Amino acid sequence: MIQLHNVFMSYQSDAAALNGINLRIPRGDFAFLTGVSGAGKSTLLKLLYVELVPSRGQVLIDGQNINRLSRRQVAYLRRTVGVVFQDFKLLTSRTVFENVAITLEVLGWSKKDIGKKVYHILKQVGLEHKITSTPMRLSGGEQQRVALARALVNDPKILLADEPTGNLDEENKEHILNIFKEANIRGTTVVVATHDRRLIEHCHRRMIVLEKGQIVEDSDVPQ
Amino acid sequence: MSRNKPAKRPRLTNEGFVGRTAYFTSRALNNIRQNFLLSVLTVGTITIAMLIIALFLLIFVNIKGATEDWSKRVQVVVYFEKELETREITAFKSRIASLNGTDKVTYVSKEEAVKRFRNRLKGQEALLEGVSAEVLPSSLEISLQRNNRDSDAVAAYVAGLKKIPGIGEIQYGDEWVRRFSAFMNFMRLVGALLGGFLLLAVIFIVSNTIKLTIYARKDELDVLGLVGATRFFIKAPFLIEGILHGAVGSILAVIILTGCYLAFLHNAGNFLSFNPADEGLSFLPAGYLAGVVLGGIILGFLGSLTSLKRFIN
Repeated sequence: MIQLHNVFMSYQSDAAALNGINLRIPRGDFAFLTGVSGAGKSTLLKLLYVELVPSRGQVLIDGQNINRLSRRQVAYLRRTVGVVFQDFKLLTSRTVFENVAITLEVLGWSKKDIGKKVYHILKQVGLEHKITSTPMRLSGGEQQRVALARALVNDPKILLADEPTGNLDEENKEHILNIFKEANIRGTTVVVATHDRRLIEHCHRRMIVLEKGQIVEDSDVPQ
Repeated sequence: MSRNKPAKRPRLTNEGFVGRTAYFTSRALNNIRQNFLLSVLTVGTITIAMLIIALFLLIFVNIKGATEDWSKRVQVVVYFEKELETREITAFKSRIASLNGTDKVTYVSKEEAVKRFRNRLKGQEALLEGVSAEVLPSSLEISLQRNNRDSDAVAAYVAGLKKIPGIGEIQYGDEWVRRFSAFMNFMRLVGALLGGFLLLAVIFIVSNTIKLTIYARKDELDVLGLVGATRFFIKAPFLIEGILHGAVGSILAVIILTGCYLAFLHNAGNFLSFNPADEGLSFLPAGYLAGVVLGGIILGFLGSLTSLKRFIN
């Protein structure tokens, strides 16, 4: 469960990036955050993976107030949140396998278990044949799927994605969306920030529209 | 809809201190393999830095050795009011030996004095015709301990000697001792200043190189943080990498120094007329070499630690 109560966020002297946000995303929900560039989508996501803390207001993730978390608690919270970035944030000096395995290494899994689980997730995203490639040798769509695999490999409670289909063609978009849907079916709460309205319409899920740091529309699109 | 179970930890690996250390070391080695060029850059910088320090130490040790030799010339010679019996000589020797600062007391008999005189005037033996042992007095030559060879200490020692009844004249070349003390103080000051500046420069260069190499891997630090790694988990392999880089860099510096020494430095003293008493420059003692390696390890570790502080919140 994600809860935001009267959340304000401002970057130093700039105008507020979030302006009194109240939001509730139940466990297992699938929601799109949308709005024009600068509306506050990425800032809201950053609050959810505790890259930022709000200037005012409360953000609760599974009942934990992020304002009150120690560094160690933030680390443990992040283990339950998978994040996919628009720029993928893959490590270019590591192989596909190593990029995905990093999430499980942090959790202290044994090598054998990591091997099995990483292979399984890469098969799920259709990249098991690229296991030894480095990200630079992959297409944009493939890189995005590696980033997704890294985010999903430990079965997170929450999956956050920032413009995950930004530079992808239709076929790859479809593939990525299907992976999101499958994760959601398995019980993961999915929050996707995008300005791609076609993607949202195609998916028929909850849509939260942000404008100048405020929620101007929150609608459940019929599935 | 099926619900996810909390993040699973099916089987933890490498529990306990030894297991964790082995795990972080293997990650550090893996990181070195994956970022080989950056590692080469760091090791190269540490090697050059420690080589400079080691060369400085080599020069320092040799100058120290040379001045040690020179300081042995600080000697006090005691003559007596009358010629002494063997029993009296022994009594004087033990009395002087018990004085604070005495290193060695040697009796120089009349015969020995004449022999030395003849040796000094070799080739001009005609001058010595008619000179017998009776002409020259016997004496006691006193070497002083290392810490008592500066002008003030020698003056204090001589004042102590004068209180012993039966001692006539005391010679100790006070002007030479004074100049030598001033020279030693100057050398100490120059050495400390040069060494200090050198150390600061080395720390500055190495820490900045490490900072740059860690900055080049900032993505890795960010990703580890985002997937839930604790600060210790992120830092540990980098610190072990720092230690390994420092160890390899400083060991290479010692190997290069040894190579340079064996190739041409060991007899440099001869053509530089630096320390003609010796056969050439002496090499760094084992303690100093261990210090260079330990210094490199500390440099690598602290360089990584301070750089990581900048990048990990």
